[in-house]
Amino acid sequence: MPQTADWPHPDAYARFDALVLPHLDRMLAFARRRTDSTADAEDVLQETCVRAWQGFAELRDQAQARAWLYRILRTVLVDAYEKLGRRRRLVSITRLEDAHEELVGGDADALFDEVVARLSSEAVHAALGELPEDFAAAVELHDIDGFKYHEIADILAIPIGTVMSRISRGRRLLAGAMTAHRPRTGELGTVSRVAGATGGRRPPRGRGGGAPR
Amino acid sequence: MTDPRNPLAALPAVDPSDAAALEARHQLIVGLLGAYADAELPAETVSQLDAHLVGCASCRRELAVHHAVRRRLAAEPPAAAEPALQRRIRAAIAAMPVPAPSPAPAIPGWRRHAVALAAGAVVVAALVAATFLATPELPWRRATEVHVALPVTPVGSDALLGDVLADYRRIAALDLPGRARDLDAVRAAVPFPVEPLRVPELRLLAAWTADIGGEPAAALAYRWDEHVVVQYLVAEARFFGSPTVRARVAAHGALAARQDGTELVAWPTASAGSLLVGDLPAARLATIWTAQRVAERGAGGAH
Repeated sequence: MPQTADWPHPDAYARFDALVLPHLDRMLAFARRRTDSTADAEDVLQETCVRAWQGFAELRDQAQARAWLYRILRTVLVDAYEKLGRRRRLVSITRLEDAHEELVGGDADALFDEVVARLSSEAVHAALGELPEDFAAAVELHDIDGFKYHEIADILAIPIGTVMSRISRGRRLLAGAMTAHRPRTGELGTVSRVAGATGGRRPPRGRGGGAPR
Repeated sequence: MTDPRNPLAALPAVDPSDAAALEARHQLIVGLLGAYADAELPAETVSQLDAHLVGCASCRRELAVHHAVRRRLAAEPPAAAEPALQRRIRAAIAAMPVPAPSPAPAIPGWRRHAVALAAGAVVVAALVAATFLATPELPWRRATEVHVALPVTPVGSDALLGDVLADYRRIAALDLPGRARDLDAVRAAVPFPVEPLRVPELRLLAAWTADIGGEPAAALAYRWDEHVVVQYLVAEARFFGSPTVRARVAAHGALAARQDGTELVAWPTASAGSLLVGDLPAARLATIWTAQRVAERGAGGAH
C-alpha cells in the first residue's frame, strides 16, 4: 500500500514493527555470515533498523519492505567492512572451479547430493565465506532468504542478467567449496577425491583460515 | 536488445556438424542452468534447455549440483533475534524523532489533512524531544541500552531536586527502609497511582513512603545489574511546582540534574512526577526513562 500524505500515521511504530520484526531472524543470519561475532551482527542489525526508521516515511510500497530492508542491511555491512577493516578471506576461484569441474566431470552427482545434505551449518558458512561477496550475496539472497531474481537485482543494484550469472557461477563455486568442507568419514569415494583437489577442509572464515587468492 | 533470460534467442541455428558452435551453445546453456533450476527463465528458453538436457549428461550433472546446493542452503535455519535485541532496537527507535517524509505531491485535501497530522507529529516528536542517540558510536555499541543525552542541570536552590537528593543520600547510608511486598501499603499512603517501572532489566527490591519537603512521596528501589537506583514518585502539583522541572520538561521531555556525584533524571508520568536517582551518570539513568516509554507503548498495544 503506497504511503502518501497521510504520514506520520498515528500507529507508525506498530506498522514499522509489523514490517520489520518478522525479518529480523533472517537478516541477523545474513549479517552473522558476514561478521566475526554475533555481537557485531546484532550491532549491524540495530543500525539497519535505525536507518530503516529514518527512511520509513520514504517507503512507498510496503510490499517491497523486505527487499528495502536488505538493501539497507547491505549498505550497513559495506560501511562495517570499511569501519572495521573486515574482508572476506577468499580462496582461489580457480581452485573452486577446478573442484567443481571435477565434480561434474565424473559420476559423483548422486554422492554430492548426499554429502551436501549432511554438511553442518558451520561447514556451509565456511564454504560461503570462501566465495567472493558478489557471488555469495546473490546465492544467499535467493537460496536462503528466498528472494526472486528481480528482487535481488533491486537489492544489489545490478541488472537481472548479472543476477543470473552470479547465482549460476556462485553455486558452482560453492559446490567446489562444499566438497572441501565435507564430513571426514572416509566413505565418500569420488567426492573425497574431488576434495583432495582443493586442498581439503579449510578453517572457517574469520579464524585465520582460507588460502589467499 | 536480447532478453538476458533468453540469450539463446540471439543465436543462429547451429549446424550439428559444427563442433565449435555446439560447444558455444553448450557453454551458454551451462550459464543458464541456475536460472533454469530456479524457474526464472521464460517458457521458450525452458523448452530449449529441456531439449538440450536430454542429450547432455554434463548439463544434467550440472543441474543436479544446482539443485543439491539450493536444497542445502534452503535448509539453513535463521538466526534467532533474541528478545533483548528486539528491545534494544525498539529503544533505539523510540529515542529518535518520527521520520518526516520528503515533500509529497499535492493531492485534494492535502493541506487540510497535513495541518492536523503535523500537529500530531509535534506531539509525538515532543515525546522524544531532546533525546538523541550518540550516533557516532551507535553501530558498534555493545551495551543493550540506548544512551541519551539530556543537558545536566545544577540542582542549585531547587527545593524539589534538593529534597529528593538529600533523601536519597540519607537512605543510601542505611538498609533499605522497605521491601518489595510493601508496595500495596505505599500505594495506600500516597494520593496518586504508584506503578513500578516496567523495564525488564529492573527488579523491584523495596518500596516505602518518604517525606519530600513535607509531602508524602513513594520511593521504589530497583536493582539494575550491579547498581541500585531509587525512584521517587511525587504528586503532580509538587513536581510541576518546581520551575526548573517545568522548564526542562517543557524543553526536553525530561530533566537531568547532578549534585555531589549523585545524579537524577526526572520525567512526568500520567498523573505524578518521577525522579530516578542513582550513583550513575544521568545519561545511563535516562536510558531507563527511554526504555520505560517503550514498555508503556508496548503495553498500550501501539508498539
